[in-house]
Amino acid sequence: MSGATSVAALRAAFGGAVERDDLICGDAVVWVAAARSHEILAWLRDTPGQDYNYLVDITAVDYRDPELPLEVCYQVRALARAEDLRVKVALAKDAPLVVESVVNLWRGADWLERETFDMLGIEFEGHPNLRKLLTPEDLDGHPHRKDFPLGETPTLFNDGRFLDPAAFRAGLTGRNPGLTGWSGGARRGVTSTEGALPGEGRDKA
Amino acid sequence: MSVKPVNPPQVEAELPGSFSTRYMRINVGPQHPSTHGVLRLVVDLDGEQIVSLKPQVGYLHTGFEKTMENRTYQQCVTYSNRMDYLHAFAHDLAYVLAVEKLMDARVPVRAQRIRVILTELNRIASHLVFFGTGMLDMGALTPYFYCMREREGLMDIFEAVSGVRMNYGYFRVGGLYQDVPDTFEPMVPKWIDAFPKHTDEYFNLFMANSILKARTQGVAVVTRDMAIDYALTGPSARASGVPLDYRKAAPYSGYEDYVFDVPMREEGDIYARMAVRFEEMLESCKIVRQALDLLEPGPVKDPDRRISLPPRRELENSMEAVIFHFKLVTEGFHPPKGEVYVPTESARGELGYYVISDGGSMPYRVKVKAPSLANLQSLEPSSIGGLFADMVINIASFDPVLGDVDK
Repeated sequence: MSGATSVAALRAAFGGAVERDDLICGDAVVWVAAARSHEILAWLRDTPGQDYNYLVDITAVDYRDPELPLEVCYQVRALARAEDLRVKVALAKDAPLVVESVVNLWRGADWLERETFDMLGIEFEGHPNLRKLLTPEDLDGHPHRKDFPLGETPTLFNDGRFLDPAAFRAGLTGRNPGLTGWSGGARRGVTSTEGALPGEGRDKA
Repeated sequence: MSVKPVNPPQVEAELPGSFSTRYMRINVGPQHPSTHGVLRLVVDLDGEQIVSLKPQVGYLHTGFEKTMENRTYQQCVTYSNRMDYLHAFAHDLAYVLAVEKLMDARVPVRAQRIRVILTELNRIASHLVFFGTGMLDMGALTPYFYCMREREGLMDIFEAVSGVRMNYGYFRVGGLYQDVPDTFEPMVPKWIDAFPKHTDEYFNLFMANSILKARTQGVAVVTRDMAIDYALTGPSARASGVPLDYRKAAPYSGYEDYVFDVPMREEGDIYARMAVRFEEMLESCKIVRQALDLLEPGPVKDPDRRISLPPRRELENSMEAVIFHFKLVTEGFHPPKGEVYVPTESARGELGYYVISDGGSMPYRVKVKAPSLANLQSLEPSSIGGLFADMVINIASFDPVLGDVDK
């Protein structure tokens, strides 16, 4: 169920516009140049042998990092062979967040692009009706950006100490070693009374 | 943020500007029984014929995805089932499958079978609500009571298993919250054996009913090409001849062990969408029967201590177990970096969680591919040109759950 063969075909057809590709958890992912994303998606849809005629989803990811840009993800599917390909378009953070709309390829992209525009503020050029989809019209900002505030209340303890939820959670992200640096392993030589060693014999990253 | 007005251009061009009696604009919803939730439709009518239809969604937007990005992986199960409250087990299953793939968790066979039984029973319950409320939109009051009567038996099973009638939160990453109670195994066959007798009754009441056929056949047709173009999924797409069902295409949770058919229709009208769902209920019964036959005693959680809590008895004599327990509860587990999308088949269509992990104990990004959102887009093209009264049953025929659309 992965479109790894299509990646090779894409490279042959578009060369440098295919920036990189990867196989993540069994899914083929390919990064393409923002300027040619529409052309590449149209090629994937219309070329015999590729036939990615079904658009599953459009979304975007904010990597909260000045180095890592915002990424727009398209999940396309060849219905006949139930094969998926994830096409990603990396947008530079300082450049305007614009990609070409694919509504003229798949009508189903209409609401998906509106949702992405609403949630992450990415503009889809050529969209016939690019308005917010889910949030109220008078809401400023894009909720799925990582800098959008959650609006929580800090917890006050008896001794006048505050627990700030955001600061507490900061210890749980992948950028932080955690409260104690523990990442799920057992100390060497430690056995469980139930017999099975925790995670013994499995190779995980 | 500039927001453009919702006026459809083609109607506006014909309006003389001052006063027109040709077109009438009707606002349906957001609080309206026929919209199956908080859906608003701005409909322009020429007499009784629909000229333009603009669905407005977002009234139930709760920000589940954003909230999940700020909770540990195990806590997210609380949120997933609240999106589609009619087929809640499917949302739980889609979420835990995605995280399990990320973690390389090994779910015991018993847990997989119980997951399938509950998800399929929940699918029947969801389709029963579809029939009950869909008939209600056509003015048939009786089917609602029949359908709710059957659904009640299913709700009792879900309550016995998880303690609640909705928003179960029973599946966990790595398995189940706990094993099913002793009452589960007698309860399910009792319900499953009684159901086919009722479906015969329903078939005569609904599907063979000539009034219903006259009302629904050839109405609001979605052709195969249109279904693919508008990314229609699930039973609604299969009613238009798109044969995709992820229980068959890429079996998950042990679906490859069961023999069942995927009901298909070519017509793409409202009757076809109902017929596919009707047959799906019978297929779900088949799956549940087979899963029950194959159900054997065994563990219901992945024994990996990095995912599941240690058993209670071990906490009394093992310091390591206490530490694991503490760390899993306060901090949760840490999947490796990566991203995953596992498509599953809910009662509404393809449902998948796109989860990105940055190595922390909270998902970095969660995006739900919600089937109701995809299906609701087909409402506009299939309703235009039809009658207003047909649009009302057309909404019901796509079976949207607005919690699933708005997230």
